[in-house]
Amino acid sequence: MDVAHPTVGWEQLGERFYRKIQLYTQVFDQDLDLDNYIVVGAPYSGAIALYRDEDKLVAFQPTKAFKPSIDIYSCAGNPIRSIPWDKGSIKGLGWSEDEKLLIVTADGIVRCYTDLQGEFTQFSLGNGSEESNVKSCKFYDHGLVALLNNNSLISVSSYDEPRPKLLAAPPQGQVHSWSLIPPAYALSRSVEVLLSINQTIYVFDASECVDQYLDIGPFTHICVSPNGKFVGLYTKTGRAHVITSDFQSPLSEHDSKSKIPPKYFEWCGNDAVVIAWEDEVHLVGPGGAVTKFYYDSGRVHLLPDYDGVRIIANDTCDFLQKVPSVIEEVFRLGADSPASILLDAVEQLEMQSPKADYNIQLIRPHLVEAVDTCVNAAGQEFSVHWQKQLLRAASFGKSVLDIYNSDDFVDMCETLRVLNAVRYYKIGLPLSYEQYQRLSPSNLISRLLNRHEYLLALRIAGYLRLPTDKIYVHWATAKVRHSAEDDDTICRKIVEKLSGKPGISFEAIARAAFDEGSGRLATELLNHEPRAGRQVPLLLSMEEDELALDKAIESGDTDLVYFVLHQLRRKFPLTTFFRVINSRPIATALVEAAARDGDGEGHEDTAMLKDLYYQDDRRLDGASVFIREALRQPESRTAGDKLALASKLLMDNTKENAFELGALKEAAVLLRMQEAFERDLGDTYTGLSVNQTMFKLIRQGEHGRAKKIQGEFKVPEKVAWWIRLQALVASRNWHEIEDIAKQRKSPIGWEPFYNQTLQAGNQRLAATFIPKCTGLEPGQTMTMYEKCGMRTKAAEEAVKMKDAETWSRLLEAAGRNTAEGREIERIGLAVFRR
Amino acid sequence: MAPQAGFETEQVKDKARKDLLHLLEGVRGKKTLVIEEKLGGPLGVIVKASTLRDYGVEKIFFLENKNTDTSQRNVVFIARGESAHNANAIADQITRLQREAQSPHEFHIFWVPRRTLLSDKVLEEAGVLGDTNVAELPLYFFPLDKDVLSLELDDSFRDLYLAKDPTPVYLTARALMGIQQKHGLFPRIIGKGDNAKRVSDLLLRMRQELLAGEDVGEMDKVGLSPSNTIESVIIIDREVDFVTPLLTQLTYEGLIDEVFGIQNNQTEVDTTIVGAPPQPGKDSASAAAPASSGQTRKRKIQLDGSDKIFEQLRDTNLVVVGGLLNKIARRLQSDYESRHTSKTTAELREFVQKLPGYQAEQQSLKIHTGLAEEIIKHTGTENFNKLLEVQQNLAAGADPSSQFDAIEELIARDTPLPQVLRLLCVYSCISGGIKTKELDYFRRLIIHGYGYQHLLTLHNLERLQMFLPRSSPLASMIPMTGSVGATGNKTNYTYLRKQLRLIVDEVNEQDPNDIAYVYSGYAPLSIRLVQCILQKQYLLSITRGNGVTNASASAGGGAQGWRGFDDAVKHARGQTFDEVQKGEDKAVKARALLSGGGEQKTVFVVFVGGISFTEIAALRFIANKEEARRKIVICTTSIISGNRMMEAAMEKESFEKRAPASQARNSTAETTS
Repeated sequence: MDVAHPTVGWEQLGERFYRKIQLYTQVFDQDLDLDNYIVVGAPYSGAIALYRDEDKLVAFQPTKAFKPSIDIYSCAGNPIRSIPWDKGSIKGLGWSEDEKLLIVTADGIVRCYTDLQGEFTQFSLGNGSEESNVKSCKFYDHGLVALLNNNSLISVSSYDEPRPKLLAAPPQGQVHSWSLIPPAYALSRSVEVLLSINQTIYVFDASECVDQYLDIGPFTHICVSPNGKFVGLYTKTGRAHVITSDFQSPLSEHDSKSKIPPKYFEWCGNDAVVIAWEDEVHLVGPGGAVTKFYYDSGRVHLLPDYDGVRIIANDTCDFLQKVPSVIEEVFRLGADSPASILLDAVEQLEMQSPKADYNIQLIRPHLVEAVDTCVNAAGQEFSVHWQKQLLRAASFGKSVLDIYNSDDFVDMCETLRVLNAVRYYKIGLPLSYEQYQRLSPSNLISRLLNRHEYLLALRIAGYLRLPTDKIYVHWATAKVRHSAEDDDTICRKIVEKLSGKPGISFEAIARAAFDEGSGRLATELLNHEPRAGRQVPLLLSMEEDELALDKAIESGDTDLVYFVLHQLRRKFPLTTFFRVINSRPIATALVEAAARDGDGEGHEDTAMLKDLYYQDDRRLDGASVFIREALRQPESRTAGDKLALASKLLMDNTKENAFELGALKEAAVLLRMQEAFERDLGDTYTGLSVNQTMFKLIRQGEHGRAKKIQGEFKVPEKVAWWIRLQALVASRNWHEIEDIAKQRKSPIGWEPFYNQTLQAGNQRLAATFIPKCTGLEPGQTMTMYEKCGMRTKAAEEAVKMKDAETWSRLLEAAGRNTAEGREIERIGLAVFRR
Repeated sequence: MAPQAGFETEQVKDKARKDLLHLLEGVRGKKTLVIEEKLGGPLGVIVKASTLRDYGVEKIFFLENKNTDTSQRNVVFIARGESAHNANAIADQITRLQREAQSPHEFHIFWVPRRTLLSDKVLEEAGVLGDTNVAELPLYFFPLDKDVLSLELDDSFRDLYLAKDPTPVYLTARALMGIQQKHGLFPRIIGKGDNAKRVSDLLLRMRQELLAGEDVGEMDKVGLSPSNTIESVIIIDREVDFVTPLLTQLTYEGLIDEVFGIQNNQTEVDTTIVGAPPQPGKDSASAAAPASSGQTRKRKIQLDGSDKIFEQLRDTNLVVVGGLLNKIARRLQSDYESRHTSKTTAELREFVQKLPGYQAEQQSLKIHTGLAEEIIKHTGTENFNKLLEVQQNLAAGADPSSQFDAIEELIARDTPLPQVLRLLCVYSCISGGIKTKELDYFRRLIIHGYGYQHLLTLHNLERLQMFLPRSSPLASMIPMTGSVGATGNKTNYTYLRKQLRLIVDEVNEQDPNDIAYVYSGYAPLSIRLVQCILQKQYLLSITRGNGVTNASASAGGGAQGWRGFDDAVKHARGQTFDEVQKGEDKAVKARALLSGGGEQKTVFVVFVGGISFTEIAALRFIANKEEARRKIVICTTSIISGNRMMEAAMEKESFEKRAPASQARNSTAETTS
């Protein structure tokens, strides 16, 4: 067999094995002196960025013009892009989890290259970074922390909406080295920074800074394990310490016996640390076990990843990781695990040896486990040959089983196909299985898109049944940006390819076209966007204002409409603005609603409303604004003026607005009269309604004035009577009520008089109204008298009604021996003789 | 595909709570919470104040009070993102705090239910966007009860019908879309009314956009294929039936709302009526509202399904509440007495375990007896009865002019304005506008009686089409005769009263046989419309007696949608629609077949513009009858009552000499009540 056994390249470290897998060879040109470069790699086997180290001297080569640039390569050394750089000294170079390249300059400018193709956004760290300058930066999944020369720390936790924040104030002193714990792994759920100052380590977060009281420093290197649980420390004296990240329990210690400070000190997975000098790499495991690797091709760089370390040299790219346990279980020399026997069985089968069956029988009870292990081991294996062998073993094993759920097996076959495809050197994404799981297939696809590998992305998406819309959109966007063809051809080509595909965001493509300065193409593309709402912002930036408004209304989303209106209001003079909204009722309604709301404290935007109603000839609405203003006036006089203005608006159409005009006039009259009363009577009347004014006047005994009001405002007789009655009762003016009772007729009848006076507690007076009441139900008078406490009268009525029952009830209530009782008895005896 | 889980309002609550707490957890350390006042109650529905404290909330302020202090480094704002003035208010406070504070602050804004472009713009223009962490808190529906979801948009009625601002429509559609994405498409969307139609259109549109928006793999298409646990969604626009909520509610819960008012499941009642709360700490500490109840003699009472006694009483007609309370009191008594009969220690232990339950019930019984007494006192007044009489006469179709005198008297006697306006609106709605002469007379009475500022109120009511002259262009299309004529512009109560049997003379409040019990004889039109879809057989059986035969032809058991009542429905205002949402794959049909028709399916009844407690009671009555086949979940933009509708239109200010505005408002309230 010409394929090396998987154990080749394994190194024992304590009880565990580590393996170094050669991923690619001939990575960089031999004349590229890696020693002079800063090399950083994106997580999950992403791209590598090279930037010439400014501290290193370089031999002057007259043939080559020296232009600083940041060069991006794949792991296999394929150049992806070169970004020319002339923005000054770079103090931080790093990657985010989604393969954004971050460049931080000394004066605190952060550039975020969102794809690998040179598109970028930029923001400033602020917080004093301009004055005291950035010293260095550390990066994590989707954020960064910058250390300034004055030891201040600035944290940015998202690149989409960068909000640079100052962390707790650090102590002074030279920072020997530093590192951070990403928020996802920190106890506080926010980023924590470790600073080595003097002998000790300080731990920072947003609000506080804790001294860990170590005395073994200063440390030239600090590194935090990928799961955030452990910290590796490397002292000036060449000792490496591993300690838990709460600095409570030291775990191991190792003396490198080297005077030269190492170039790299990083974690390899969560179990071992790697120390690298120029061409020598030490792997230090738990308990201080060490294994060493030497590279003769010169300078190496380490690119730490989640589950291992990539080692980059000119001629090779290696991946160093702990041998996954499933692999160890299968391949370890002398392994007798069921999985390993199963693998052997399939080899025997190929040789047509009966031992195959013997093997199967041997592991029969553990066959399921063996199959699972083989499937998982296949995932962890980089060699295609061994992947196949393991899967074959699994397949053989499961064919023997009666019942086995093959889902995992099928998934693994799919996954491996994808992994092998992206590991191919031309793509150069040597993902391990673990990394692939963490990265997720859809992010893998966006990485492929950043590399413009559209065909592969489409194939993978199709194969894994993932959405393809983003791939098409990305392709079309790139096409719009880079194609040299004329607009019509581009548009036709894009629409041809993309029509009928679900989920295509033509808006994104159109935006790209617009950004490229091709407005016409943008408009044409936008017409193909099915989602009205999406078109709005772009239409606005294209100054297609009315169209934007229409699309916003069409979407039904009032926020969009408000947004467009807000923009238009700022942009246009009022008349133009009104012209735009007039023909669109929803827009008008929203403008009105917003103006009515005003600033949210009851101050409506009256000027705006008046103009709006005036130009739209909505007189009544316009008058309403004035009336509301009138209500807000502190004085009656000014309120009257406002009312007059309201009337003036309605004057044009006296017939239709007759009622409103009349009411407005009355309102002004009432205000004046009330003012006069206040002057004469020294009590407040303003704010009362006509009826209430009358009520108050009568209550105060001002009958004449009340009459005047009634006459002035033509208060209907019935209403006036009611008011009078209520006011008199309220002021307990029985005398006056008695006077009224002398009148022959009341427009509201006499029952209300009875009820009101009775309720006010004047039974005597109430009773006088009973005979005056007409149209009562038979027998009602009895109860009415009874309520007044006049049983005798009630009994008389009962007698009249020949109602013996009520009579005797009354008699009982009065008691036979009281005077009243005897009287009742006397009245009744005549009629109800037994 | 995995079977879709059935819909439970509890899930909505859980998700809302998780979302909120997750966001709070993301803000490190202690924090000050600043909430929009109108969100305080709804948030109280989903999370208790004590829980918030566990998540580091030290103090809670209302955004409107502008008194946020600088005690904590973290300040979290929670407000609705739809309106610019919240963003303005937040921006103001941030600038103020930044100016006043010695130490820097961290500002967080959680927009409910979504972050809007407008609020971003406002914050940006105020120059504070860069200093804040903005997040979304996607709370659409607040579960008020196990069968009621509300957006709790207090102003939705005013926004929709007065300001013509369609935001509530959009939010309703978004909220329903959320349900669809989780549980599958509504197989059928049926409804009535223009705004309802808009919701339906938006749903269809959003579905298209979702299809266009994401090419979701075949893996999770739940949101895009018809659900097999949901039967349909019925959307009713409030506009279709203004009259129902204008009438005085006569169920227990409805009357609590009429007399005391219910906000977010809580009512505030004077302690003289219900007694003081047992212990300050033990009192339902759910409201996220700041503890300010120091001196007020009011007590907050939680009203929801968790209170067993209330659960029994809430949907019954007031007539029977007294008897029920009596029965409960006797049962409690006898349960409690059972301790004497318990002989063994085991029995005794059992009793002791139940003891806290008894005490809670005892408490609640005391509260409800107090409430019921107060309500009965209220309903016994002359005024109330006069109002009710006029209302019922109008609803029953008496000649409106015969009620003229009664209305005049009510105004002369200074009956609270909302009550009078409700009457007039019922008058106008039922008779399709009022004769100009009468109208002018009524209008004069109103402005004389309650002040000239109500010119604005009357103008608003006219714009709402609730109180308008017959000559008005808005009223001209109203078909006044019972004939089948012009349709669809206005609800024709005269016609529908017969067609759908809105008036049921022989109601039995004790053991109701028809939804008409909730108004003691008037069956709410809005709910009759729902019955047109859900209870065809029943409705036919009670309307047939009226000689209406045109409907019976197609009343087979399988008829769906509006079938059988198309004609009647045409006489209600607004568009009628019936959409079927089909899935793309044939598998759906197969699945539907497999799952069989036997199990209970959910029907969503959505009220755009608000629903009243009586209507909820009526819907629950239907739900009870249909229990075997369907579960009804009620969704609404807000809970509404006649008074709240009138408040939307009423001008709050008066000509009174200006003190601060709030005082003026109080005094108008005094003069009108």
